[in-house]
Amino acid sequence: MTTSYRLSRRTLLRATAAAGGAALLSSCARGSGEAVDLAYWNFFGGSDGKLMVELVNRFRAEAPNVRVIDTTLMWGPPYYTKLAMACAGGRAPDLATMHGSRLSTFGRDLLDEWDLDELAARGVSLDEFPQPVLDRVLVDGRLMALPLDTHPLVLYYNTDICEKAGLLAPDGTLAPIHGAEQMLDAGRRAAEVTGAIGIALGSLHEAHIWMPFWSAYRQLGGQMRLPDGGPAEVDRDAMVGAMTFLRDLCDGTICSPSLDGQSSPAAFASQQAGFLFVGPWEVTSARTAGIPFSMTQFPALFGDTPYVRADSHSFVLPAQAQVDPAARSAAYDMAVSMLRNSLAWAAGGGHIPALSAVADSPEYLAEKPVSNYREAAQVVEFDPEAYFSGSGSTLMARAGQSLQGVTGRSLTPEQGADDLIGWLDDQLTLGNPL
Amino acid sequence: MSAGTVAAPGRVEQPTAPRRGPSLVGGRGGIWFVLPFMAVYAAFVLWPLLYGLGMSFFDTSLVRAESRFVGFDNYVRLFADAEVWRTLGITLLFTIGSTIPLVVIALVMALLVQTGARGQWFWRFVYFAPFLLPVATVVLIWQWLFSGDYGLLNAALTGIGLPEVGWLTDPAVGLWSVVLLTVWWTIGFNFLLYLAALQAIPAQLYEAAEIDGAGGWRRLFGITLPLLNRTTGLVVVLQVLASLKLFDQAYILFRANGGPGGSATPILQYIYDTGFTDYRLGYASAISYVFFVLIILIALVQARLSRRSEA
Repeated sequence: MTTSYRLSRRTLLRATAAAGGAALLSSCARGSGEAVDLAYWNFFGGSDGKLMVELVNRFRAEAPNVRVIDTTLMWGPPYYTKLAMACAGGRAPDLATMHGSRLSTFGRDLLDEWDLDELAARGVSLDEFPQPVLDRVLVDGRLMALPLDTHPLVLYYNTDICEKAGLLAPDGTLAPIHGAEQMLDAGRRAAEVTGAIGIALGSLHEAHIWMPFWSAYRQLGGQMRLPDGGPAEVDRDAMVGAMTFLRDLCDGTICSPSLDGQSSPAAFASQQAGFLFVGPWEVTSARTAGIPFSMTQFPALFGDTPYVRADSHSFVLPAQAQVDPAARSAAYDMAVSMLRNSLAWAAGGGHIPALSAVADSPEYLAEKPVSNYREAAQVVEFDPEAYFSGSGSTLMARAGQSLQGVTGRSLTPEQGADDLIGWLDDQLTLGNPL
Repeated sequence: MSAGTVAAPGRVEQPTAPRRGPSLVGGRGGIWFVLPFMAVYAAFVLWPLLYGLGMSFFDTSLVRAESRFVGFDNYVRLFADAEVWRTLGITLLFTIGSTIPLVVIALVMALLVQTGARGQWFWRFVYFAPFLLPVATVVLIWQWLFSGDYGLLNAALTGIGLPEVGWLTDPAVGLWSVVLLTVWWTIGFNFLLYLAALQAIPAQLYEAAEIDGAGGWRRLFGITLPLLNRTTGLVVVLQVLASLKLFDQAYILFRANGGPGGSATPILQYIYDTGFTDYRLGYASAISYVFFVLIILIALVQARLSRRSEA
């Protein structure tokens, strides 16, 4: 017993000395402007994940003294839960990716604002970002997130199928579609050519079905305000209208009501469908399939302005208990570097670059078909503001249930709207955790 | 069964020898052996249990440091929360729907393997193998099988002239797809318990019955099933408790969205969503405590029933 005690004390002393020495060494290293550790979290998998690694590696090459420790976590609720817990616990990463739509949860207490002077010192100013996106990332006038891109719902079309269906303009692009009836009709004509369906829409995937729903709802003039305590301020008529459109769409011919997030892009890639409704990131699967296709801005189905559901991948500075100034400075460097290099992000992933220097560059304009829908950045509609709203949120998952009820015809559009509104009211009365 | 009727041959009753040396149970040394376990148990079970109970009386949030004492507000609120009752109903329906096949089919499988003559090891392995797979793998396999447009199940159905089933899309079917997957995945464990019990039944019983002229069915209902009573009680209790804990397979199968029309959202998922996705930890704790009490009640009732049936 005594021996082991003495041994352990000796070990302890030795360990303490070693730790002290290491600390001394590392502080020396820091003092002489050597390596800075920078922890960066993101949620990009698949082809976006590869592009993100490319952006990170470019920064590594630009700043060899920064050791970037990048961590990719599972996208959706798990990512935001982990980030929120890390921020609340004070041990968050130095830099993280976040959807602009999630700022209503995170923007109040969990993030540090971006210092505009620090950004200006690196040559970035606010007037270089699209106004609708800027409106969303500014919270009480403070820049809480630095947008990398905008990614709206876009319209993919198979040029062969559309040509056979007589849907192309003389210049070989898709003839403009005005109104819901024309969209449905185009879908029917494409279905005649494919012999399967006209439009691929992953109605079983909550994000895929939410995008056209929210676009149609906003085009119909629908507003949604979700005050604490409720009730939800919702335009029921617009909601019924948007759900009616989705029901008409998923009639089994124009759209199948049973496609999920994987089978819908697969149906387009295998030419089982003439159109695809989804975000721009599926450009990779269409390119890989080698099919003749192009992309364009999501059309105005109701009214004259083609409002479209969108979100923005942005960079945030998660709140930390102790901020290391060197790491913070490196976080600014890295975010700005990724913004400047976002041409690769846009060309490969289809996202519209947020920074005007990239978005207006001839290189980006020459990138077809992904620059076709760049004007969408001016008419983007973010999700309603609430702590349970935004990409990968409870609202999206729960709305997906109501919308699938409608597309699967177990609910009428009126019942679907009441179902969603009832849930919103219940959710609001439960109280705000922020 | 009366245990006194059959005495296993060759078993010698050991006279209780006087104890020598210090006892691990009663002596002072024993505590040092259980201390490591007790420390881990206290840190990771008892303390969180109490902490969670305390939290359920506060409006604790995952994303806010301070919280306010709200008394029984969370409990009052959950009794009026329709989603609590709806997801609890789904959980109970799943428990009933999965326990019955998981017990009955496991028994049938064990009987077939026990009586089937050749290649026992092979069938034992085949029936138990799915149980060894991690949940993510199981769900991935079944996602492909269930798929509406290119899935094997629907291809088989249309192949024999039946209509397609919306395994993952039809609100009336979604939960039963989870049942099907769960039965395939976990039945191996119950099967093994039954097989072990079957192998413990002395062969002399069957020989004696055969001499008395009992046929196969008579032996099954007269000897095998009565002697399996105790095992069946155990399997049912374990299965009910396991099924009440439904979460991971449904969560992954429906990518966290609760299935078509929310038809496959168990109460544990509602608790998870409330606490970790909506950040309302205090309220989520309250719901989980009510569910915890319910599970204990069910376990007590079951224990009582099985004691009565044995008496």
